[in-house]
Amino acid sequence: MTLRECYEKLGGDFEGTLGRLSSEKLVQRFVLKFLADDSFTLLEESMAVGNYSEAFRAAHTLKGVGLNLGFTKLYVVSDEMTEALRAGEKPENEELLEKVREEYHKTIDVIQELQNS
Amino acid sequence: MRSKVLIVDDMELNREMLAAILEKDYPILEADSGKKAIAMIQKHQAEIAVVLLDLIMPNVDGFAVLEVMKNQSWLKDIPVLVITAESKAEVESKCFEMGVSDFIKKPFDNAIVRNRVRNIVDLFGYKNQLEEKVEKQTETLKKQYKLLVMQAEKLKESKTKIIDILGTVVECRNLESGEHIKRVKGFTRILAQQMMKDYPEYGLNQETIEVIVSASALHDIGKIAIPDSILLKPARLTKDEYEYMKSHTTRGCEVLDNVEDVWDETYSKISYEICRHHHERYDGKGYPDGLAGEKIPISAQLVGLADAYDALVSERVYKSAYSPDEAFYMIVSGECGVFSPKLLECFRRTKKEFEELNRAQQRKQQNG
Repeated sequence: MTLRECYEKLGGDFEGTLGRLSSEKLVQRFVLKFLADDSFTLLEESMAVGNYSEAFRAAHTLKGVGLNLGFTKLYVVSDEMTEALRAGEKPENEELLEKVREEYHKTIDVIQELQNS
Repeated sequence: MRSKVLIVDDMELNREMLAAILEKDYPILEADSGKKAIAMIQKHQAEIAVVLLDLIMPNVDGFAVLEVMKNQSWLKDIPVLVITAESKAEVESKCFEMGVSDFIKKPFDNAIVRNRVRNIVDLFGYKNQLEEKVEKQTETLKKQYKLLVMQAEKLKESKTKIIDILGTVVECRNLESGEHIKRVKGFTRILAQQMMKDYPEYGLNQETIEVIVSASALHDIGKIAIPDSILLKPARLTKDEYEYMKSHTTRGCEVLDNVEDVWDETYSKISYEICRHHHERYDGKGYPDGLAGEKIPISAQLVGLADAYDALVSERVYKSAYSPDEAFYMIVSGECGVFSPKLLECFRRTKKEFEELNRAQQRKQQNG
C-alpha cells in the first residue's frame, strides 16, 4: 500500500498535505507516528470520568492533528467534538464520541495496514 | 547571539513536525508543558531566538506562558509565534493583544512556518542588536558627561582658589593674614542666604549667592595700587591720603577690566559691583559714587556690611578688636554708615550665626 492509497482509503487530503509538508517521506513519518499518539485514549478516559475540560483538550489535539496531516474526516468529527466540549460541560449530543471513535479506529486501521505493507 | 528555537506543545507529534521544519537552521529546544516552557525560557533566556507556542495545554496553558513572559519582560527580547488549531478570531486577537508576534493556524504549511520564523528571528535579532548598541553608546555618553561635569567642577574650584589667592595677596600686602577674606566670605554667605529667604524681591538664588560669595574675595583688590606709605601708615591719614585710599574701589575696577575675558558675564558684573560699591552707604554718603538706596547693587550691600562687621571684630594696626556685641550695636546704630533696613533686618536675624562663625575662625587661628 502506498501513502497515496492510504489517504484515499481514509478519505484524507493527500495532495494538500504533501504540498504543505513538502516531502512524502516526512508525511509518511508523521502519519506512522500518529499510531503512538494517545490523544484519543485520553479523550475516551476523560469522557468516562466526566472530566470535560481534559476531554476538550484531547479533542482539540485530535482536531489539530487531523488538520495538519490532512485526515479530513477525523478532523471534521473531532472539530464537532471540540466545539461541543468548549464550555467544559457534558455534550448534549451523546453520539459525537461514538462518531470520533469510529473515525479514529478507521484511521488507525488504515495506517497500520500501511505500516505492514 | 540568540539562535535557539523553543517549541512548546504537549503533543509529541506536533513538536516533531515543527522540529522537522526548523532543525536544519536552528538548534531546537522542546517543552511538553507550559510549566517546563517557563523554566526553559528562564534558563536559556539569552539563547532563545523565538518561542513557538501551543495554546491549549493542561494546567499552564499558552496564555499563562504569555502572561509570565510579559510580566518578566521577556516578550521584549523574545518573540512568540503561536501555532494552533484554534479557528476563532477572538483567540487570534487576544494573542496579539498579549504581545504575540505572529499567529499561524493549522493546518500549517512548512514553507510558511520556515519563512515566518526566519523573519521574526531576523527582525528581533536586528532590533536587539540595535538596542544593545544604543545602550552601549548611551553608557559611553553618560560616562563622558560625568567626566565633563567633574572637569567643570574642578575648573570652578580652581577659579575660586585663584580668586582667593588674588584676595590674599592684597591682604598680605596689608600686613594681614588671609583670614579676613575667609571671614568676609562667610559673613556674606550668611547674610545672602537670609536675604534670599526673607526678601525674594532681590531675586537671589543659590547660584548667584555662590558667585557673590566667591567674588567677595576681590572686594579690596584695588588696594594693590595704593602705596605702602598710605596703606601701612600707622597714624591717622591726612585728608588727601584718605581720598587716595578711597580710590582703592575704582582702582580695583581697573584691575578687573584688565582680566575681563577670563570670567563669564555674571561673574565679571558681580565682582565689578563689589569692588566699586562695597563702601557705598544707603543714605548716599558712601563712596566712590555716592549711590543711595537700592541703586547700590545687592551684592555690594551684602559685602559692604560683612566687610564693616569684620573690620570691627578684628584687630588692626590702628585699633584693637571690638566684642561681637559692640560690633553688632555699632552696625545697627549706623556708626559705620547707614545700611538698608532690609539688610539690617537680615543682620539682626543672623546675629547668632555671625557670632558662631567669628568664634570658629578665632579657634582656628589659635590652633593654627
